[in-house]
Amino acid sequence: MAFWFYRGLRRGIATTRYPKTVDPWARRLPSAPAFHSARLTAGLVDRLARECPTGAVHREDHDLVLDVGRCTGCGRCLELGHGAVRPSGEFLLAVTDRAALVKRIPIRGED
Amino acid sequence: MTDPGPPTTVNGEGVALLPGSDRIQTKRVETTRLAELSHELAVDHGARLADLFAEDGPDGEVTLRSVYALDGESRYLVLECPLDGDRFPPLSDLDPAAFVEECEIYEQYGARPENRKRLNRVLVPPHRSDRFPRLRRRDGRRLARDYEPHVVSGEAFEFPFGPVRAAGWESLYMGLVTTGEEVLDLYLFQWHKHRGIERRLRGLDPERATFFAERADGLSSVGDTLAFCRAVEMATGTEVPAPAGHTRAVALELERIYNHAAAVAAMCQTTGLSVGQARSEIVLEQLLRLNLAAFGHRYLFGVISPGGVRREPNVDEIQALLPAALDEFRYLVDALLVTNSHVDRLESTGVVTPENAHLLSLVGPVARASGQAIDARRDHPTGAGDEPAPLVRTQDGGDALARMRVMVDEVEDAERLISAHLGEAGAGAEPVPLAEGAGLGWAESPRGEALAWVSLDAGGCIDHARLRPASVRNWRAFDDAARAQNVFTDIPIIEASFWLTVAGFAR
Repeated sequence: MAFWFYRGLRRGIATTRYPKTVDPWARRLPSAPAFHSARLTAGLVDRLARECPTGAVHREDHDLVLDVGRCTGCGRCLELGHGAVRPSGEFLLAVTDRAALVKRIPIRGED
Repeated sequence: MTDPGPPTTVNGEGVALLPGSDRIQTKRVETTRLAELSHELAVDHGARLADLFAEDGPDGEVTLRSVYALDGESRYLVLECPLDGDRFPPLSDLDPAAFVEECEIYEQYGARPENRKRLNRVLVPPHRSDRFPRLRRRDGRRLARDYEPHVVSGEAFEFPFGPVRAAGWESLYMGLVTTGEEVLDLYLFQWHKHRGIERRLRGLDPERATFFAERADGLSSVGDTLAFCRAVEMATGTEVPAPAGHTRAVALELERIYNHAAAVAAMCQTTGLSVGQARSEIVLEQLLRLNLAAFGHRYLFGVISPGGVRREPNVDEIQALLPAALDEFRYLVDALLVTNSHVDRLESTGVVTPENAHLLSLVGPVARASGQAIDARRDHPTGAGDEPAPLVRTQDGGDALARMRVMVDEVEDAERLISAHLGEAGAGAEPVPLAEGAGLGWAESPRGEALAWVSLDAGGCIDHARLRPASVRNWRAFDDAARAQNVFTDIPIIEASFWLTVAGFAR
């Protein structure tokens, strides 16, 4: 085992205390979308709802309802969003109440 | 590229694959001739039974399809056989490779081989209700409980292991039949992981179906999705742009590299070499970050799409990160191969003989480690993404060490292939027409040849999809390997060296 110890030392220390800092690589991870309320229209939300493969997005009257618990960060809504959708960058999603993962965003734009 | 060789003719009845003809030929045959043709293809033409599955039509009629790989001729042959009733010729009597598929057809369609052999449980759980969804659409028939019982007698007992297992391994029940130490027999239950993905694909357009197909076996997402998309492209006559073909090859090789590194990490874990495991997991994390930087996803989801690719590789990131990660991998492997406690545990463990590998039509590194020089990239090239051809590395040992050596060699070759494709890789996809058709697709995933069959309805949506990841093929050799004079503690080592997924099998 001394052999492995010295070989390991030659490569330097690879670990840090957790959580020393947020790993900068995390910023690159796919994340759930964030929406610009003013740029959302009912037509756009309906299209997003149709294209979302996991059913994470739907429209309830004048609200877009996003279930972050269903979102896989596939990025299809970003391609369709025309500036109304961007990656949220949020990936620490642990909650104690499932309902806290469901978000309502008012639709303020006009078709 | 392989020399196409002489044309294949079977039984003088027109199953003739002429030089220059399509790489896939479909032939309709009568049920009564299936066994005879299958035998002739195997014996006279060296054909490998690559898949066997069923499909039901609008009136409830069931069609059996057997797929033969003529590796020397770079062709696949699909025999279609409409069933009359709920019996079909037992191909597994001639070709043991067909047994798992026969069990699956029984579970999903209620048709069973015409023999007295009892079948194994594959994907349908024993406590299922009568409404448990199956692939057959019009069928009220209940399954007979026609399953092979577990036979444990004398001094032996069945030691249950799983389906919940330590260290994040997938759900898998192993019934280890033993008298205390040596494994006499092994029963596997993979159905805990069954998600009915093939059924879920029905009615979806190919683009939407791809999203689900790539999640059937997340660790082989590129290979399996590539097979699925190629099937759609064949069904619709879609030509993939050359830059997209190169991008697909880059993603496929990145997937191979990280999977083989993960297998090495798992082998270290199972031999108890925790320091080696830690070092190999550092490499694995580097490779997953490389995937993220190159294609925007650690497990390369969302890259492949019908007709091409959705993303292009980040060339600069790959050129910057890949050499460093592989340098670390080589440094690790050099140390592993001179660490006696590790090598001794792998040597002579989980032996798959060349005869068994051939008999069971195994694929991928498991087959190549048992002397079978098969690789779909070389044997069944499809165009831009398959040139240059891979170097097919084989070993003769058939043990866990041979499998590790094959994987290490393939990592080196994958780097060469990525370098060759990177300069020409680009984005783009040819639109897939929404039209009726059927097609077969294939790819050499990290675990071996992945196949997919797709039938599209008049609106271009999926009417029937068959996904056959490499894991479906290779799990059948696991119990043989586990029985070959191994003890309890060898089983995790064998599992790591096979590096299969339950998700791919149970999809």
